[in-house]
Amino acid sequence: MKKIVSSVLVASLAATSLAACGGSSTPKETAAATTAAAAAETKAQEEKATEAATEAAGGDAVTLKWALWDASSITYYQPLIDAYKADHPNVNIEMVDLGSTDYSTVLGTQLSGSGSDFDVVTIKDVPGYMTLVNKGVLEPLNDKIKEAGIDLQQYGGITDQVTINDNLYELPFRSDIWVLYYNKDVFDKAGVDYPTNDMTWEQYDELARKVTDTTPGSEVYGAHYHTWRSTIQLDGILDGKNTIVGGNYDFTKPYYEMVLKQQQDGVCMDYATLKTQGLHYSDAFAQGNVAMMNMGSWFISTLINKIKSGEYTDCTNWGMVKYPHAEGVEAGSTLATITALALPTTAPHKDEAWDFIKFVTGEKGAQVLADTGNIPAMTNDSIVSAIASMEGFPQDETSKEALVTTHTYLEMPANDKSSEIETVLNEQHDLIMTESSTIDEAVQAMNEGVQAIIG
Amino acid sequence: MKSKSTNETIGKTLVYTVLIVFAAIMLIPFIWMITASLKFNKDIFVIPYQWFGYEPQWRNYLDIWTKIPLLTFTKNTVKLTLIVTFFQLLTSSFAAYAFAKLRFRGRDFLFLAYVATIAIPWQSYMVPQFLFMRRLGLADTHLSIIILQAFTAFGVFMMRQFYEGIPDSLCEAARIDGMSEYQIYLSIMLPLSKPALSTLTIFTFVNTWNDFLGPLIYLTSESKKTLQIGLKMFISQYSAEYGLIMAASCISLIPVVIVFLMLQKYFVAGIASSGVKG
Amino acid sequence: MTAATTVKTTSVEEANRRKLKQALVAYSFIAPNFIGFAIFTLGPIILAMIMAFMEWDGSNPWKFVGIQNFVTIFSDDRFLASLKNTVIYSIFTVPLTLMIALGLAILLNQKIKGRNFFRTVTFFPYVASLVAVAAVWNMLFTPAKGGVINQLLLNLFHIPALKWAASPKTVLMTIIMFSIWKNMGYYMVIYLAGLQNINTELYEAAGLDGANVWQKFKYVTVPQLKPTTFFVIIMLTINCFKVYDIVYMLAGGSNGVINKSAIVLVYYIYEEAFRNWNLGIASAGSLVLFAIVLAITIIQFSGEKNYAND
Repeated sequence: MKKIVSSVLVASLAATSLAACGGSSTPKETAAATTAAAAAETKAQEEKATEAATEAAGGDAVTLKWALWDASSITYYQPLIDAYKADHPNVNIEMVDLGSTDYSTVLGTQLSGSGSDFDVVTIKDVPGYMTLVNKGVLEPLNDKIKEAGIDLQQYGGITDQVTINDNLYELPFRSDIWVLYYNKDVFDKAGVDYPTNDMTWEQYDELARKVTDTTPGSEVYGAHYHTWRSTIQLDGILDGKNTIVGGNYDFTKPYYEMVLKQQQDGVCMDYATLKTQGLHYSDAFAQGNVAMMNMGSWFISTLINKIKSGEYTDCTNWGMVKYPHAEGVEAGSTLATITALALPTTAPHKDEAWDFIKFVTGEKGAQVLADTGNIPAMTNDSIVSAIASMEGFPQDETSKEALVTTHTYLEMPANDKSSEIETVLNEQHDLIMTESSTIDEAVQAMNEGVQAIIG
Repeated sequence: MKSKSTNETIGKTLVYTVLIVFAAIMLIPFIWMITASLKFNKDIFVIPYQWFGYEPQWRNYLDIWTKIPLLTFTKNTVKLTLIVTFFQLLTSSFAAYAFAKLRFRGRDFLFLAYVATIAIPWQSYMVPQFLFMRRLGLADTHLSIIILQAFTAFGVFMMRQFYEGIPDSLCEAARIDGMSEYQIYLSIMLPLSKPALSTLTIFTFVNTWNDFLGPLIYLTSESKKTLQIGLKMFISQYSAEYGLIMAASCISLIPVVIVFLMLQKYFVAGIASSGVKG
Repeated sequence: MTAATTVKTTSVEEANRRKLKQALVAYSFIAPNFIGFAIFTLGPIILAMIMAFMEWDGSNPWKFVGIQNFVTIFSDDRFLASLKNTVIYSIFTVPLTLMIALGLAILLNQKIKGRNFFRTVTFFPYVASLVAVAAVWNMLFTPAKGGVINQLLLNLFHIPALKWAASPKTVLMTIIMFSIWKNMGYYMVIYLAGLQNINTELYEAAGLDGANVWQKFKYVTVPQLKPTTFFVIIMLTINCFKVYDIVYMLAGGSNGVINKSAIVLVYYIYEEAFRNWNLGIASAGSLVLFAIVLAITIIQFSGEKNYAND
């Protein structure tokens, strides 16, 4: 018996020490081995032909591994790669799709230890970014940015919100803002004027109630809120006085009161039903009985494509306006979400990878994004008008104007504890909207919960 | 006499009523799946639900093959499932024989260790395991999935419990006849454990076929991914194509049902008892 | 070495050698599975157990923190809620699933028409992908007044619309029902296989003694199925304590928010491991889970031993 126990222990300890040293010892050998393996693999694949071609051209062929999600449905990856390769024929870029739903989990696991062979990683959200920064697996970019002479002002101040201890670990290439979508047909039918680019929340609420029809069987919903907490909770930070990581959430109360009242009056769909049923916001809007919906600008290309393909028939006449604002605040303040690129400390080809990151996050990359109907992080007037002139984009002036912002606030600013804070806020949001807690109770719980986390 | 036969009829009717109601409860979701697989995405979540009388979107069944490389994923899944099932059956039934029918030092402890490890959630040791496998150069290989799935404690535990049900006297008799343990395993235990082996085959097959988290973490290149990762691809960042998910789910159900139908014929009473007699 | 000669051997030395050889044979049976299992599963598991006393985020060096992780989780409301929910969930799910599975197995072991069909149908929910069946289930059990189940309850029993997975009061109940529905086919198959091991002569003998159906069940089926039941109880308990994806799919809904009324142990572990990257805390959580399941297993195990000695 003892013998077996000890032999088990020996075996497992051997495994332990093998795995444990992954954390600290020099990874050169393994890194070399894995790159060799990776190179062999890619060679085995289709790239063989291109690689041979580039070798013939005289350059040292390099293959960059790029971690991303939804490779088959996001339209700008391949154009970005093609545009880059046009100038850099000796660089191959291999997309590694880690899936959208579990992206942060998989990326975090892949970058654990020291054996990762990713050259460029896409950062999906701020909690995911914070995780990787805390783990110390992302290369600080300050020196590189200075050296390359990149002007961070081009990103409209958004990079300040992801700067951690004076250092930047990612560069954004895509930036989505939140707007208010509306279905013109619904307003026409109800004989109500369209929403405008300059509405207060009170005016918005009034308008939503005006177009609402609660007749069973032919309901029209004046407003629609997806189940995310951002659709309600974050309306409160747009006055610039409050932050979502501050530990006091009293400012969310009026917004919860407004939406909860709407929910009870049948102005918007019931949160509980939406949550369990998993109705996607795009399908809710497509059903043609939703008058207004607050959502990110990523929804533009979904709308355009699905209307074009003939799947959406009841919301073909859509428009959009700027986000409503609090009394006394300038119109044009809105929420933003950025998608960024970062350089892992373990990247096998750091210089080439940095060059690619500069390209994607720079002016040329921004052009490619705009051409495919997405809003690049580096925005200027010509890019906005390029998007607005896209086929299928609403032709009225108001909708074009809606994309111009004055202030943008990140959905979640960079904070050491962002994922823990998010858990607390999500839970209480859920309790308010299912009417399991009162607003006062839940806000109290948010305050206490978050204060306990940030100390 | 008469009352007995009426009783029997009543009993039979009762049994069938229960079974049919029961089957309906089991089947409604699958009818839903099939109807949903023939709809536009936006029409699936409409209440009240339309069971029929809509124009079926057969396109969904074509789109699933072109939107993602589903054929490659299917091939990979078939390959992995067959290999894992083979190894799982072989090593589990082999080890289980020792735990059930042989006496040796540390048997109970070792067995308990096997069973207890099933209780540890994979999520808690996934990261060290992944780092270890990557050290061995096994990241992004099918071999990693095979290794993870083929040596499970579950199979050993299950087979051991079935062997426990086979009388020891059978083995004793064989030993007295001069058979070695390997011969007993091969010519007595294996043929007797067809129902158990079928069960383990079904379970391993289903598990490997439906495994998601393992392939998700380990398999990163497109050419190596599996069916379940493919299913999730229809839920992208900005949309969820439930029509396509349902279509692909219906397709992916077929092989598993075939395996089940093929193997369940071994669940026929009397195999063990006839073994005892012979 | 044949059995006939060993019977005659009396010397201690010979007996020892025989024992050693027997042990070697036994180890040779176990080795193919055990070596793979030890290296790739047991090793990382032991590592995870050590990790429970460390602070680790997957990348930075390990830091020994003693029992700090346990102190942290036992003062975390979310962990305590997950522990409570998991126990409640298991207390209901284990016996109910077991009884239904056994009943179905016995029923579908009879010679009835359409047996194959019914067996397959029962196994369906287990086989189907969770994403698909959870979506179906959520449609049927929607909190909306117009939902299929809510309409049914209203018309048949005049029960007002329930909120099912959306209300803290009914969410666990909904999860329990779903999990019984999804998993009973699985345990039925195990029982079905177990039933094939029962010698039919035992039933015939009991019949001659005048035993009725119930007595046959009690005195033949139940004792003969003991190893199978042991297996089913252990696996059910373990699987219930490890429940995770069902909860995520049903209670998480479209925004993936799981609050204290539905959180379970493994979800907590997942959250700590992959959202917050506190792998030490995650390991501490799984060590607690391990301890509970181990205790149940040992109790069951000694129960089984007693039976074997009878």
